[in-house]
Parts: sequence; C-alpha cells; structure tokens
Amino acid sequence: MGTGPGAETGTEAVRGEEGAARAEPGVGSAKGRFGIFGGRYVSETLVHALTDLEDAFGRHYPTEEFQRIFRGLLRDYGGRPTPLYHAENLSRIVGFKVYLKREDLLCGGSHKLNNSIGQALLAKRMGKRRLITETAAGQHGVSAAMAGNILGLETEVFMGVKDIARQEGNVKRMRLLGAKVKPVATGEGVLKDAVSETLREWAACSRTAHYLMGSTVGPHPFPTIVGAFQSVIGEEIRAQILEKEGRLPDAIVACGSGGSNAIGAFRPFLDERDVRLHFVEGGGESLDADNCAAAFVLGRPGVLHGALMQLLQDEHGQVKPSRTRAAGLNYPGRGPEISYLCHSGRVKAGYAFDSEVFEAVKVTCRSEGLIPALETAHALAYILGHREEFDKGDVVVVNYSGRGDKDVETILRHLEGEI
Amino acid sequence: MAHVYYGDPTEEFSAELIRTLAGSGVDIVEVGIPSSDPTADGPVFTAACERALKGGMTPRRCIEGIARLREGGLEAPIVVTSYYNVIYSTGVGRFMAEVRKAGAQAVISPDVPFEESGELIAAGRGEGIDVILQVTPTTDGARLGRIAGAARGFIYTINVEGVTGARDGMPESALELIKRLKALTETPIMVGFGISRREQVVGLVSAGADGVVTGSAIAEIYARRLDRPEETLGAISGFAKGIKAACAEGNAQRKVA
Repeated sequence: MGTGPGAETGTEAVRGEEGAARAEPGVGSAKGRFGIFGGRYVSETLVHALTDLEDAFGRHYPTEEFQRIFRGLLRDYGGRPTPLYHAENLSRIVGFKVYLKREDLLCGGSHKLNNSIGQALLAKRMGKRRLITETAAGQHGVSAAMAGNILGLETEVFMGVKDIARQEGNVKRMRLLGAKVKPVATGEGVLKDAVSETLREWAACSRTAHYLMGSTVGPHPFPTIVGAFQSVIGEEIRAQILEKEGRLPDAIVACGSGGSNAIGAFRPFLDERDVRLHFVEGGGESLDADNCAAAFVLGRPGVLHGALMQLLQDEHGQVKPSRTRAAGLNYPGRGPEISYLCHSGRVKAGYAFDSEVFEAVKVTCRSEGLIPALETAHALAYILGHREEFDKGDVVVVNYSGRGDKDVETILRHLEGEI
Repeated sequence: MAHVYYGDPTEEFSAELIRTLAGSGVDIVEVGIPSSDPTADGPVFTAACERALKGGMTPRRCIEGIARLREGGLEAPIVVTSYYNVIYSTGVGRFMAEVRKAGAQAVISPDVPFEESGELIAAGRGEGIDVILQVTPTTDGARLGRIAGAARGFIYTINVEGVTGARDGMPESALELIKRLKALTETPIMVGFGISRREQVVGLVSAGADGVVTGSAIAEIYARRLDRPEETLGAISGFAKGIKAACAEGNAQRKVA
C-alpha cells in the first residue's frame, strides 16, 4: 500500500491555475472542463441528447420545486440524512477519532440512490419513458431500478458477464424490481464494456431514453450532474460534524474509481484548505499493470467514454483493462473532477491492495459489527494502513459508501481458514 | 467509400482487401485504426477491432501499412479513422504529420464532435490534412450551419440514430438531412452507417448525396470465413461494384428529376 506518485506526475498544463477552472457545484465550468479534464468526446449522434440534458438540469435543478421533491424523496424514501457514526472501537485501533458517514444505511445499501433519484426526476421532466444504465457491483443498477419504479420509468441495466457472475445477489434484486438486465460479453465483460454498450444503445434511442450515468464520469454534463446530486453526502457531513465536534474534520477519506461517493463527500469542503481529502483507488493484487486498477499510479490523461480523464492505457493509447476484486472500483478511468483534484494536489490519491481490503473487512466486522462493501473497505484499509498520516487528535470522516451483503460469498471464500 | 478496420483478421488480408475494393469501384478508402473501445461502432466492427487488436495491430503499424499501400501504387484518397485517445496519446500534431507522411488525405475521429474539434482541425491544417466532420439527423439547424461552414474535404452524414452496422431500411430523416445540407453547402456529402443495400444507395444519391460509405457490410462478408478470408474477396468485389452501380443509378435519377 502507498500513496500514488500519480499526483506528482502531472504536467504543468495539468496543474493549471489552481481553482481557476474548478466547477461550481451544480454548474459545469466552461464546456464541462475541470482543468484540462472532462469535455464532451462523443459521436455527433449523442450531442443533442447531452445539450438537452444540460438545459434540463440548468432549468430544473435550481428550482425550489425540484429541490423539494428531490430532498423529500431522499428523506422519506431513502432515509436521509444518513447518520454520522463515531466508530469508537475502530478509533481505538487506529489511534485517532474515526467517524463513518453511513451511506450503507441509505435505502438500497449504498450512496447510489442519491444520484439515481435525482437523474430519474430529471428524465421524467424531460419526458423520457425509459432509463438505461450500466452497473458493476450492481448497487447502481439496483438504485436505478428503484428510482425508475418510483417514477414509472422502465429500467434496463447493462452489466458485464463477469460482474453478473460475481454479483449474483444484486442481479436477482434488479430482476425482482422489474429491471431488464442485459449481459455484456464484449471486451472483458466488466464495467468498461458495459458503459460502452450503454453508450451504443443510447445512440439509438436517446430521444426516448435517458442514460442514467452511475458515476461522476462520461461526457459533460454527467460529471457535474452526478456530483451535484451526490453532494448531499458532504453537506450532511459538514452539518453533522459541526454538531458533534464543533469544528470541521481534519480529513475525509473516500474510495472510488469514477469518483461519485468521493466527489459527493468532498465538494462542500474543497475550499476548506485545512480539511485533507484522501481518495483511495483499487490497488488490485499488486502494482503490476495487469493486476491493478490504480489509475493515478499507472495511468495518464486520456479519453474514454466521452471525457478526458486519468486513464489506464498502453503505450499506443488503447485502454488497459483494470483489475480489482471490488467490481465497483474496476474501471480504468478516474472521473474528470477527481482527476483534476488529484492532479492539482487538492486531493491526495492513494490505493489499497485486495489483501489489505479483505483484512480491513475483517477488522471492521469484528470491531464495529459492520460488514462493509469491498469498495468501501478500500477507504477503511487506507486508514488502517496509513496511521502515520493522521495525528492522535485528528477527527477523520470515512465515507462508508455501501454495505457488504453483496460481497459476503467473496469475502468468506477469501477469509476461509482465518475465521 | 469503404471502411476497413486495418488488421482484421490479419494485416495481409486488410491490404489485399483495400486493393480489391479500390479496383472494384471504391473511390475513397477509409482505413480504421482498431480501438479498444469503439463506442460508435456496432457488433460487427466491435468484433473486428477485438480481432485486430488480438492479432497485435497497433496505430503505428496501421500508418506504416498505409505508407506501403501508397508505395504499392494505390491511388485512391485515404481517410484515416481513429477514436480520439489514440490521436491524443500520439500527440495531435505528431499524428497528423505521420498520416500525411504515410500518404493519407483526411482524418475522422468519431468521438470528437464539432465543439471539441478545434485542436484537430488546426493541426490538420498545418499538415494539409482535412478533418472530416460528421452530422446526423439529430444535429440542430444552427449547428448544422456552423459544421457545414467549417467542413473541408467532405461532410460525413450519419444516416441513422445509432452505431455502425448494416440495416435494411433507411429513415426519412436521412433524406431530409441531405436536402438541408445541399441548401447550405457545396462541400460533397458522403452518407454512412447502416448502408448495405442497393435501394438505400439509389435513394440517398438521388436525394443529393455525393457518395455512400459501407463498412460493416463488408466485414460481415469476410467474417463468415475468418479461417480463409481471402476466399471472400470475389464476393466483396461484387458487393462493391453493386454499390457503385447503385450510385450511378441514383445519379441518373437525380439528373432526370
């Protein structure tokens, strides 16, 4: 485990003028750029759908009515605000004060519902009849199916065949909720391929369907929109920590690949220079390029799925498949905003190896009685493995992004013999 | 114009295929650099890219292949098609210089819409390479005007809402788009995506298209004999000649009308 040298490898152009190009929450920067990252690299066929979406977001999101319905659903259906839990036992183990932002308690079991409800509301207002989306760990697919049902929209979820095999529980939940699960066998049969297939589908049906992008990735305006809907996490952290501690936290730690739970937790703190922000990506088995998902260590800026972002790729510019046991972190690109924030130095990029992640699951189960998702356990592994980066008096918030029921089989297989 | 993903299933076959096409009525050759993530392509071309990459094809070898085709006497204009990351990764300026040196005339990057094309166009201009812009039935009027005004070489009109791949029908919106473009510009109009049938071609050309692009329909023919693709060259030649004849028929109808 370590912190990636990636943050130091950015070119001067990448660093840019700090803050100058940062997107305001809810409003994309010029042409959807975060520093050099972002943009809208899609076939002409999709341009109209993206400009329509940008218009709709600008028209509806700021209104009192939209906010009332969105916040109301998050509260009454989703269960927000989610608690900020002082994990005393875990705190004793690491030697500083740890709070868990309990997104696992959001209905559906992860932070994904925040974004799904927001986008489904937008889609409904745009007169769309159908939601199409992709999922890896299945958490986003489940939340999209839930949001689709609330709003009377058909939901179709593209999912890599390899992910279908390893996230069987969530596939069953999606089917039970009435979503169509479409297996994707191209490429490696994982998230990257599912995103490509959803983009292809969208090119053919964008007049009637909305692509409910699951993370802060993709062409403008998706990174901006998803970040805005997820910012509710950070807004709550801010209010809750002020209430409990009377001050802001010293650090916030979040896992990610596209970055939606991290951006959601970080956005309200970007201008608070004393709040350190840590982003933890999937280290996979090792930093060997064929067994890893740590794009800030092994990648460089490149274009995939509509945006310029930090990207795992070979020397020819072909995208390299990522590898990690956490399906939800198994994506070769980092979203434009988290790419920018890590390159500019505002966010520190780190990673955790699979073995450390399983160990963190065990520690969290035993100390707190909580089974974290494998994705979430990356953030926990980071604080367990990097205690030297935090002082004894520090208050550290870990975005506890999802529960691990979906991973129980995988975890048990791995820990067999140890428990 | 015919689109070939270079290196599928082998480099030798692609070179032979391009020569066959050029000798069967194809006026412009579109050489595709295989991509790991061809998001604007349907299943036939996605599979073609996967086979070519598995066979070890790289952007550099594609460009070297183009240079060899030129040295071997191929005279047809060549358009190089590449998803943007390969171009970005190579360096936009260097990519343009390399395709010019190899003997190509134009570049298409299917995931670079007009708004993101400034750097490509500027670098292309420096090397005398046209960046081909695409329009679709979903392109609104104001953008259509701007794109038509900036277009060099020809305008690539995407015939359908969707990805590449042969289809039976042809949407009315494609014919309307050609008419809208004709009123805006004298730049030639090439129509692609979903084209494989004579009636489609006659309809498009009689409506004002200057030519059509076929790609997946060709790959479908040789993909049936991947063990010995060279045995399909006769059938592919026949297909290309048929499309060419349909273009002539469409042209004749336009003149009568």
